[in-house]
Amino acid sequence: MYDSPKTGTAVDQKDIKITARKVQVYYGDTHAIKDVDVQIEDKTVTAFIGPSGCGKSTFLRCINRMNDTIDICRVEGDILLDGEDIYDKRVDPVQLRAKVGMVFQKPNPFPKSIYDNIAYGPRIHGLAKNKAELDEIVEKSLRRGAIWNEVKDRLHAPGTGLSGGQQQRLCIARAVATEPEVLLMDEPCSALDPIATGQVEELIDELRENFSVVIVTHSMQQAARVSQKTAFFHLGNLVEYGETSQIFTNPKDPRTESYITGRIG
Amino acid sequence: MTDAATPMPGATPGKRSSGSLLELDARTRKRNAAEARFKIYGIIAIGIGLLFLVALLFAIVRNGTPAFTQTFISIPVELDEAKLDKTGNRDREEMAKVTTFGYAPLVDTALAKALADKGIENPFEKEKDLRKLVSDSAASQIRDVVLADPALVGQTVEFRLLAASRVDGYMKDRVTRESLARDKNLDAAHLDLVDAMADKGLLAKSFNWDFVFGADASEKRPEQAGIGVAMMGSFFMMLVVLFLALPIGVAASIYLEEFAPKSRWTDLIEVNISNLAAVPSIVFGILGLAVFIQFAELPQSAPIVGGLVLTLMTLPTIIISTRASLKAVPPSIRDAALGVGASKMQSVFHHVLPLAMPGILTGTIIGLAQALGETAPLLLIGMVGFIASNYPDGFTDGFLSPNSAMPAQIYEWAKRADPAYYERAWGGIIILLLFLMTMNIIAIILRRKFERRW
Repeated sequence: MYDSPKTGTAVDQKDIKITARKVQVYYGDTHAIKDVDVQIEDKTVTAFIGPSGCGKSTFLRCINRMNDTIDICRVEGDILLDGEDIYDKRVDPVQLRAKVGMVFQKPNPFPKSIYDNIAYGPRIHGLAKNKAELDEIVEKSLRRGAIWNEVKDRLHAPGTGLSGGQQQRLCIARAVATEPEVLLMDEPCSALDPIATGQVEELIDELRENFSVVIVTHSMQQAARVSQKTAFFHLGNLVEYGETSQIFTNPKDPRTESYITGRIG
Repeated sequence: MTDAATPMPGATPGKRSSGSLLELDARTRKRNAAEARFKIYGIIAIGIGLLFLVALLFAIVRNGTPAFTQTFISIPVELDEAKLDKTGNRDREEMAKVTTFGYAPLVDTALAKALADKGIENPFEKEKDLRKLVSDSAASQIRDVVLADPALVGQTVEFRLLAASRVDGYMKDRVTRESLARDKNLDAAHLDLVDAMADKGLLAKSFNWDFVFGADASEKRPEQAGIGVAMMGSFFMMLVVLFLALPIGVAASIYLEEFAPKSRWTDLIEVNISNLAAVPSIVFGILGLAVFIQFAELPQSAPIVGGLVLTLMTLPTIIISTRASLKAVPPSIRDAALGVGASKMQSVFHHVLPLAMPGILTGTIIGLAQALGETAPLLLIGMVGFIASNYPDGFTDGFLSPNSAMPAQIYEWAKRADPAYYERAWGGIIILLLFLMTMNIIAIILRRKFERRW
């Protein structure tokens, strides 16, 4: 995107999509994230777990600079996406967010038709030259969101009329429609019933083929089911980060162990 | 009111009695009584409000409806060539030299003749005494018709002339024979004549469109006065308010609500906007006088100045309601838009603004309705008084030529001496209320149309 050469060696970058170095986040005087270092791999599902208020959502929102919308929030340290510092002065957060899509805790479709919900992103980014291409993108995104079969007959019905689980899959489809490279999910299943949760989890597993997925979750079972890597946050610190199987079966840090076994949190 | 902390007599504090569920304990009884009392207070409050509303509407309708009908005298008038066109060449310039004084005798003669034709005895010796039955406007009405079509001279034309305001008052029971004793204008003989004329169909009450569409008239001829021109004044002022206050107000609120950094300055601006909403409207009037008329030298009494003053007055209302409706849009929609890579402005204009639209429109229409009913600032910029007796010629003239406004016209009528004007003031209020109701209905319809379900 910029002419400046990529920092670091090519070998280091091969599979690493996002690198965070010494990230500090402050909300006014509150130090919400302390010294987080993490490397998130491409085409992998990474889960952030931890008790409420531990900063996992805050950190997630740093990755696409959604925290910029909060006046009192201040971010220090570096977060690199493909070796480029996303907090560089030259980076426009709008352009960044096209590359790093986000799905929120509560399904938040626009109060427009299903079609317009999906088509909005491609439209503002100019991804489709004409109506036929746009139709194609909408269909492809809805298929990727595993909701095509349920809505193909009523694309012009309002997106808000769908059930909670369908709405959330619609939001996921909306996020993938802009062809992002990273997909951030902030507790995407917390408002859903077990069946819808199952569908969304299946979907996350499929999305791994094309995207780097980062998911914040309160459910440890969910983290164990969908992720390959897990990061455990506690009181603003990244306590432990590693293979999901290792975190859940053989945690190195006593705090991780007590959280997983239900003693803290 | 709350009795949460006071222990009940009879009940052991801190321990709930394990009595039957079928019996109310003292505490529950007391709480239920409090609730019932509160409901009664509420119903009483609503009842009082409704009572006042009904009384108000009843008074307005009762006092105002007579203004919409008017007594007319329908008689054939002979347009005597000898009096109207002495040279006989039907030259309009020449004929215009005959003033309304020249036409007045025609009315007298026509009346006397009509009475004789219908077999009504004329108690007056002089034809001139009959003139008091007819409005002063009759002569000019005939003159206007004749000048518009000089070919009519020499013919006998049927005219529908306004009756004098006291005759009209007698037909509407406003003037009685007793009240006439103190009145030099008419005497009992006139009223007998009026009764006889009404009997023979020469004189009748009918709906008076001129009250709705006509212009104000002089103090002496209340029967001729209408609110139409003042309505145009109000209309042009509302245009100014709509096209200035809506864009400025909405732009200001979007900036303050969505873009402005939260700082001491924005706080200060916020407080001051709220304060402006509470400033008495007459203050805006004197501001308008100083700034728009004395400094900017805009014409006095012009709807454009009134519109500007009312814009200043309406802006805080629009800004406050717009900000409230922007605030009411759930932040998740902004997140969703930003999340797919929309810019701040795109998220506001594509998603937030459409959702806030019903609230913005309602606020705007309420602001407009407020401005429509405002009189005090108009006092200071010269829009109250006997101002315009003609419709403005064209669009620009509508903004720039002196005019009044509906509430100002009502105020003006209410302070005139003739009781006929008092009646017209009430009638004007009915028209003003109809306008306000229409605007509110539009607000409701727009609200329904733009509202989206979640």
